[in-house]
Amino acid sequence: MPGWQTLYAELKDKNFEIISVAQDTGGAKDAAPWITKANPQYTALIDETQIITRLYDMVNVPTAVWINEKGKIVRPNETAYVDNRYKVMHGLDATEYLNAIRDWASNGDKSAFVLSEDELKARLAPQQEDHAQASAEFALAEFLSHQGLAQDAIPHYKEAQRLNPDNWNYKRQAWALTNAEKDYGTNWGKEVQKLGTKPYYPPRKLKAEKH
Amino acid sequence: MQKYFFLAGAMLFCCAAVHNAHAEARRVTLIYDEKATEVEAATMNAKDLWITKKDLAAATRFVVKPQGVCRDELCFPLPKARKAQFLNKQGKVEWFNLSEFARLIKQPTAFDDKHSIYYFGPRLDAQNAHLNSLEAPNFTLPDLNGKPHSLADFRGKKVLLITWASW
Repeated sequence: MPGWQTLYAELKDKNFEIISVAQDTGGAKDAAPWITKANPQYTALIDETQIITRLYDMVNVPTAVWINEKGKIVRPNETAYVDNRYKVMHGLDATEYLNAIRDWASNGDKSAFVLSEDELKARLAPQQEDHAQASAEFALAEFLSHQGLAQDAIPHYKEAQRLNPDNWNYKRQAWALTNAEKDYGTNWGKEVQKLGTKPYYPPRKLKAEKH
Repeated sequence: MQKYFFLAGAMLFCCAAVHNAHAEARRVTLIYDEKATEVEAATMNAKDLWITKKDLAAATRFVVKPQGVCRDELCFPLPKARKAQFLNKQGKVEWFNLSEFARLIKQPTAFDDKHSIYYFGPRLDAQNAHLNSLEAPNFTLPDLNGKPHSLADFRGKKVLLITWASW
């Protein structure tokens, strides 16, 4: 968060805004301490039903989307680290990404990092029925969690995870709410190990491939 | 021939169940458009949610019209041959099978038996609409002070939308 504040201070006069959204079932209780500590000038929102995950079909955090002045997506979901603290996990260089954002802030739709309509449509995959079903199970689990029915939410979290096994938000959130080892027989570290050579974050292509 | 017996049997079972439905109506929670409403449900089949037309309008804003099941500009015609799977009249009360309607319009559903909660998610078409328009789906969410902010308020600016989590 402090990294994003630095970038925001640098670019805010270029008609550029940051909206950061916490994907936290625990709502302000879980997200507030982080926001209060960072005290950002940009817009920091709390999403206790993880509606952004559903609307934009996201599968992990941190994920960013670039939206232009007309409200159109110009870069869809991609891993968005502001620094290189976890580079060993994702192999992505933050500097390159921040420079791409700077380029966009200055050049708008003319930026080389703004994707063409064809490239956008190639990158945006329609959600299929099983993933839509997963998102319904997750939403129901969230509802039960908010009613204080943490144990009764577990079968629905499990069903969401089964239907969309690549969605880490469904897993990491559920594991954080109760005892992952006891209730899910696993934990984040074990699941990352299981990936083997499969990437934890989908690979990121900053510029469109030249055909 | 055997097939016809089976069909006749299924129809008898179906109608007997419908007949008892009103007497056994129970309160359930229906979540539609992320909004929870308590409704009266007929108990003929736990998997399918039959609600009154009145509750249908109150919880979903969908209304049964001659041309189909409609909300604002949107109308979904019911397949003529399958009308009985969607609509059922018991005395003065008209019941509507919201689960069958969800299957018709490709809407994901989830059900919790223990707490009698039925969740209906967005239609697959609605969920995927932005893939053609490339319009960023709008949302309204609160900040730390509970003040709501919508993406639409930021029109005219470049927006970097970032998600994170405490977990």
